[in-house]
Amino acid sequence: MLFGSALNSITTIARLVVEEGEKGHGEGAGNVLEHVIDHTVIHLPTVLGVDLSITYHTIFMWVATAILLLVLPAVFGKRRMIPSGLGNALEAIVVFLREDIIDNYLGKDGKRYEPYILTVFFFIVTNNLLGLVPGGASATSDISVTATLTLITLGTVTFSGMKKYGVIGFWTGMVPSGIPVVLIPLMFVIEVLGLLAKHFALAMRLFANMTAGHLTILSLIGLIFIFKSYIIAPFPIIGATAVGVLEIFVAFLQAYIFTLLTSVYISMALHQDH
Amino acid sequence: MELLTPNTGLMFWTVVTFLVLLLVLRKTAWGPLLQVLDEREQRIRESLEKAEIAQKQADEAISKQEELLARAREEAQEIIARSKNMAEALKGDIVSKARAEADNLLDRAKREIALEREKAVDELRRLAVDLSITATKKVIGKALTEKDHEKIVSESLQEMGDLN
Repeated sequence: MLFGSALNSITTIARLVVEEGEKGHGEGAGNVLEHVIDHTVIHLPTVLGVDLSITYHTIFMWVATAILLLVLPAVFGKRRMIPSGLGNALEAIVVFLREDIIDNYLGKDGKRYEPYILTVFFFIVTNNLLGLVPGGASATSDISVTATLTLITLGTVTFSGMKKYGVIGFWTGMVPSGIPVVLIPLMFVIEVLGLLAKHFALAMRLFANMTAGHLTILSLIGLIFIFKSYIIAPFPIIGATAVGVLEIFVAFLQAYIFTLLTSVYISMALHQDH
Repeated sequence: MELLTPNTGLMFWTVVTFLVLLLVLRKTAWGPLLQVLDEREQRIRESLEKAEIAQKQADEAISKQEELLARAREEAQEIIARSKNMAEALKGDIVSKARAEADNLLDRAKREIALEREKAVDELRRLAVDLSITATKKVIGKALTEKDHEKIVSESLQEMGDLN
């Protein structure tokens, strides 16, 4: 009885999905990439060569920002000695980041970078999770957003280094000491390229991981439209659900990795002795 | 739009959004939270230190008490021993004194008995003399004078005394 009704509802869902797929066929629904690429929602003028139009990803980035601006000050604003509920859960994350990343890699310098690093983590994780909400999108699955975050990190890294060692001291200090004079120009180029490559990888890692997760889920769902069969429908749904669960983990993991590497790069700029 | 082409408009909005978020959160969330975390850390450290001090004090008090108890026990033992000795000495004293007194008493009693005995013997002697005089008077009448009687009786008494 129960099994029968469950089977009935699954076949109903599958039929609806297939009908939907048939309707959308020929309008680009077959190309899963269409679903992870940004689309302009509100057209705005181009200023100084920058198209200020509001896109789907912009809107969801603002949704994530709005969530953070509503929740975090409400939870952390009132100074409570004994935390409870949501505040306790979020505070556990903050304490983990503080002890595991900031104190670990930045030590006594960490205090100045705490707001930046914590904001980066919560911004990325919220954007990542929004991509898992039906109808939602991850701004972090857009190379523009991850590249910008990385540029902010690169700016923080070089600025911190230059503040500590001086503008010239920082750039010349990148070359390890005790190498032949002939190699110094070469080493300088290599170190600068290395610095840029590390940050390029930072942007690509977050972007690729988030996009890959969405593409995997979309591809699995796409199987239903390719097969056009009720019987095949439950398997992609189960698979997509499993990938979705994995994506929740990946959302936190990638935010953690981005935050961790940001701390490591800042720490490397502050301690140039190779 | 392509997947790998950066969109400068979105990049601009990202910078603006992120900086606003950073500035607002620093003031409204991270500031208070980090202060609370620091305060809590401080309080926990202080509490732990206080607890350690209290523990040390308690340990000290316990050891002091134990020491005190041991000393009290020792003192009590000493007092008991001393009083036992004293009691022993007193006992010996009392016994010897009592024995001496008893001896004394016995001596006196013996002496008194001897005295009484002598007295009794004298009395008996006199009574015997009177009796024999009376008896002799009755037997031989007034043939002999008072003086003769006395002489005869005392002579015989002398003999009795010698026999004695």
